[in-house]
Amino acid sequence: MQELLNDEKSIYLQISEMIETDILRDILVEEEKVPSTNELARLYTINPATALKGVNLLVDQGILYKKRGIGMFVKSGAKEMILNKRREDFYDTFVKKFLEEAKQLGISKKELVKMIERE
Amino acid sequence: MGNLICENIRKQFKKHVVLEDVNLTLERGKIYGLLGRNGAGKTTLMSIITAQLPSSGGRVSLDGEDVWENPKALSKIAFAREFQGNTGSLIGNLSVQELLKMGRIYYANWDEEYARKLMEQWKIDKKAIMSTLSQGMRSMVSIILGLASKAEFTFFDEPVAGLDAVAREEFYRMIIEENANTGRTLVISSHILEEASGIFEEVIFLHGGKILYHENVEELLARSYRITGRSDVVDEMVQGHRVYHPQTIGRSKSVTVILEGDETFNEQGEVSIQPETLQSLFVALCQNE
Repeated sequence: MQELLNDEKSIYLQISEMIETDILRDILVEEEKVPSTNELARLYTINPATALKGVNLLVDQGILYKKRGIGMFVKSGAKEMILNKRREDFYDTFVKKFLEEAKQLGISKKELVKMIERE
Repeated sequence: MGNLICENIRKQFKKHVVLEDVNLTLERGKIYGLLGRNGAGKTTLMSIITAQLPSSGGRVSLDGEDVWENPKALSKIAFAREFQGNTGSLIGNLSVQELLKMGRIYYANWDEEYARKLMEQWKIDKKAIMSTLSQGMRSMVSIILGLASKAEFTFFDEPVAGLDAVAREEFYRMIIEENANTGRTLVISSHILEEASGIFEEVIFLHGGKILYHENVEELLARSYRITGRSDVVDEMVQGHRVYHPQTIGRSKSVTVILEGDETFNEQGEVSIQPETLQSLFVALCQNE
């Protein structure tokens, strides 16, 4: 949770993505408490309502859950869930854009495959 | 505790209309950004809400009671305004200590301990005379007065003017902290937006004495876009939408679009669609005329 916020997308989305990334990197582990919305608000100097929106997004997706009076926790199986979700999004977020740019530059499929295999 | 409500607020100085039919509801527990260019009417509006200036028409009420000449309501409403502090002026001759004493008398929930803590943090000498302080230091005194008032509705007029980057960051942190801990409503007027946009829950765009937009920041930004591409392609795409701040260079054109309701863009050609920031949106909205 140390990355800087940018202007490219909504702050609440960035907050939820940072929590996800921390779960993927084992910085936050399953069945462990995540920072409270007030802690997040202070850390990033953002409105507490925005931090709450980011956290709630993950609650809705079943990645975090609320323990009444204690706080938010990482659900067991959360890491797997995030991995699956990001794999599903991979086509839309990366492949599509990559193909669009290739098309604009007139790079053929064959050339693309060659480039990937070069790695 | 109820909301602070402005109904049809109007203000004119002789023939010059500064505010025109302003309707505004400020809810408990939110942080608001009051945004507008110089002369948009921000200070006038805040002065009227806090009953430091009579309006030419309309009503400000808290819990259904008029705020004007109502000490009970006014002890819950604080206005941290910019201190000019010229030598020889009333405030300029006061020491910081004397100025803060006014806060103690005026505000029902004044927190002396908190004021002292903030003075220490910002290394302000309580015996210093206001007119001898730099603009930044005077801004700090004003901020301390507003924060330590612990008023349920607190207004800050251009609080970060004159503050350096570190002090500005500290101020934003204090605001977040106060809001999170106490649920106070804090209204901050500013035209320095880039760094402050994250702390506001809602923004109020004041332009030419009228409220142009009053909305949740995230929601407003989520429906605002900057579209750039070949002129005819861009025009086609945004036709029928609300368009702001068009700029052309050669065949290229950029426009800002705020989508209303469930609107979507027309057929998409080859254009780049970028998200607006609060700052860029502010510039686009204010340059429309």
